Amino acid sequence: MIALLGGCIASFGFFFLPVIELKPNRLASGLPVTLLEIPGDWRYLLLFLLALSPLLLAFLGVRNRRGWALVAVGNLLALLSLYLPALAGGVYLQGAEALFEAGTRISNPRILTSAAIATGLAGGYITLFAGLLDLEASGVSRWARGLAGAAGALLIALLLAGGALDVYSIMVEYHARGEALALRFLEHIVFVLVALAAGLIVGIALGLWASRDAKAEDAILYAVGIIQTIPSLALFGILLAPLARLGDANFLTLAREWLLLAALAIAAALILRRLYARLPARPRQFAMLAVFILALLPLALAAVLSIAFGFEVVLTVLTLPQLAALREATGLALVLFLLLMAAGERLRLERRLPRYRQWRFLPLLLAALGALILLAQAAGALLRQRELAELTMRDFGVSGIGTAPAIIALTLYSLLPLVRNTYAGLKNIDPAIIDSGRGMGFTAAQSFFRIELPLAFPVIMAGVRNAAISLVGIAAVASIIGAGALGDFILLGVNSTSIDQILLGAIPAVLLAVILDAALKLLESLMTSPGIRQA
Amino acid sequence: MIEFKEVIKEYPNGFRAVDGLTLTARHGEICVLIGPSGCGKTTALRMVNRLIDVTRGEILIDGQPNDEFEPEVLRRQIGYAIQQIGLLPHMTIRDNVAIVPRLLDWDESRIRQRVDLLLDMVGIDPSIHGDKYPRQLSGGQQQRVGVARALGADPPIMLMDEPFGAVDPITRAILQEEFLQIQQEVGKTILFVTHDIDEAIYMGDRIALLRAGRLVQYDSPDDLLAMPRDDFAREFVGADRSLKRLHLISVKDSMMQSVPCCEHDATLEEARACLERHHSESAFVVDADGILLGWVEKAALEASQSLSAAMQRAPAASIAVPEDATAREALSVLLSHSFDVTPVIDADGVLTGGVSIQRLQDLVEVPGIHAAGRDGRP
Repeated sequence: MIALLGGCIASFGFFFLPVIELKPNRLASGLPVTLLEIPGDWRYLLLFLLALSPLLLAFLGVRNRRGWALVAVGNLLALLSLYLPALAGGVYLQGAEALFEAGTRISNPRILTSAAIATGLAGGYITLFAGLLDLEASGVSRWARGLAGAAGALLIALLLAGGALDVYSIMVEYHARGEALALRFLEHIVFVLVALAAGLIVGIALGLWASRDAKAEDAILYAVGIIQTIPSLALFGILLAPLARLGDANFLTLAREWLLLAALAIAAALILRRLYARLPARPRQFAMLAVFILALLPLALAAVLSIAFGFEVVLTVLTLPQLAALREATGLALVLFLLLMAAGERLRLERRLPRYRQWRFLPLLLAALGALILLAQAAGALLRQRELAELTMRDFGVSGIGTAPAIIALTLYSLLPLVRNTYAGLKNIDPAIIDSGRGMGFTAAQSFFRIELPLAFPVIMAGVRNAAISLVGIAAVASIIGAGALGDFILLGVNSTSIDQILLGAIPAVLLAVILDAALKLLESLMTSPGIRQA
Repeated sequence: MIEFKEVIKEYPNGFRAVDGLTLTARHGEICVLIGPSGCGKTTALRMVNRLIDVTRGEILIDGQPNDEFEPEVLRRQIGYAIQQIGLLPHMTIRDNVAIVPRLLDWDESRIRQRVDLLLDMVGIDPSIHGDKYPRQLSGGQQQRVGVARALGADPPIMLMDEPFGAVDPITRAILQEEFLQIQQEVGKTILFVTHDIDEAIYMGDRIALLRAGRLVQYDSPDDLLAMPRDDFAREFVGADRSLKRLHLISVKDSMMQSVPCCEHDATLEEARACLERHHSESAFVVDADGILLGWVEKAALEASQSLSAAMQRAPAASIAVPEDATAREALSVLLSHSFDVTPVIDADGVLTGGVSIQRLQDLVEVPGIHAAGRDGRP
């Protein structure tokens, strides 16, 4: 049945739709040519026969043989749908002047791929798919099927590499702008991956929060849902003003403020935790209250003073040279303490890890290393141009237009699938499993990292794949605010009604989405415990 | 030893799940908490390892209040097994059993040894199943692993919340029996929650009957059956409590030494005299070594020429019970044959005594007769 559909689509295209379009120049409207109009060459008959053959093959009785035949026909159909029109196109180009009305400006005449090629490709691959289904049913091995399915695509790639399809104007454009395309492609990948990483951190945190806190649950899920409904253009617009202002801020000042705040928060949290853990149960509530007041009082005081005299003044007082020794000592102690804790936890963790799972940390390590090297390089490059004190946030890419708003917006868009799937994954864990874990003495953190996260992992990964694919699409829009990426080509194509340019941007994006999805799927299957893998 | 002292659990809405519970589970004993659903038995159990906080009162573990420990530290010293088992599905069977030892930072070789030992103990072959994942095991096997996991770090105390609840009755009976054997080896102090009175009677050294958060009665199984304190307790242990008590009594403890019997080569007169002496309608026939061969009835003696013609031969196992059987089994045999007395044989088939209906009646009327009879159970 599927094979019939494939044959029908392909035949319909070749009978009624134009195969290629002949354009006298870049702007003029083209001259559509159907397969039947291509002057006498028996080779083009082959396409008709191929397109019709699935209709006959579908009635072949022997499953295995029918499968192989359909796979062969499908591959061939896809291949020839691209290749034969290119041959014809070459012939047309040579006699281009004769085809148009006298007086038409002929400059760089071009051959556009047209609808029938698309239907031919679609029909070919539908037929191929039908064949693969037959082969699967008759027990042909996975590898053989994969090879058979990819054969056509491999040949098409060979044709592309060999220049056999260079006659199409999209290939002409590609050869003209290949370098720019590679750069934009790289930008696209970076946008998607950075936004995905940021979204993952925020998304998992929010999902965890939603799954633990019944009061916050609705609000969080609702909020990330709302974000998704904001049109991407509007979101870019909204981010414009605040980011532009942030971009003007001095880097050092900002960094100092943030670091100080972060250090205070971490220190307060640690002190609170340790104090809390040491107390017997009953005085705890009162102690908590006291510690909160004690810890929050300086913070509140600092906040009030900052408002009254400006943060700068408070910071200056805190950073008085007279207090330097004290500051350094506390800072050093704090760092030492954190390091010791991290090292201790790390060591214990490693000894507890079943041996076969340790290598899984390798990709994480490599990723972290890569990010560090990138950061160091960026910082180095920046520093060589200017003094550190002169740097503003703009030098790090924070501005109303460009990379920063693009990545922030993309991160926001990735939240819905990430939060929703993290939430669902965590909520769906059998409470008895968590209860038994708690009953055996897992701490809350151990329970999360060793029980809940591994169990929710497949569901979270489904969200990551979902987010990655939609990000590839949305990243194309980022070009509007000057962020670059593949959207540049698409926008250019839309503005100049040039299908080629649009395709030149769109095809890599589609490829990126497919490859990313496959890679994430592989990652998922590698890192999911066999005990919970779907059979 | 686990001691509850005036323990109260009150929820913010005023509901008291546990209301003034005072109870001591003695060292090395299985203390069963039982009662209808909502009686607070699971709450009481979960307060011991602080999965639920006590509102008032305190729980002592070997004399120390349990809130002197960090909850996680406390829990790692207490075995915990629940009805839903809660094996971690992403870990292998070995890793599951190794959870608490790993939390306690044992070194890997010791953990490995301990895990294999425990799996062997609960009847799971570690070399076959050790590296499988929980979903590849049957429900009964998972329960066994659950028990092994609770024993993981050799905790002195174990909390078990209907640990055999999730399997079919036959598997449950096997698991109960095996667990009692393990308990004889390891001698843990166990708090055991169930809603099944038969399980409580079978497993418990002592049974605490709870109702609406209060302790109704705390007694040995035999005493609970013999002397239920009030109507609720009587109703809860069931109308067949006498039968249940018989289940606790071994034949060895309840049999009479003297039963009507004669050797197979005795004369008819001797046989009749024997019946006369016991005021009985039938007598058992044994050979020269005392091995039970069959029985003879009074009517048959009248009609026959010799004892061997009158006697009915039967395999001993079909008419007699072994010495280590329960009184309940003896009653069952009594009901399915026409004798006044169920013969009791030892391992060699030698007739050693008998159990009469009169004797059984006497037994269930006397409370506490079986207080020491634990070892005699099957």
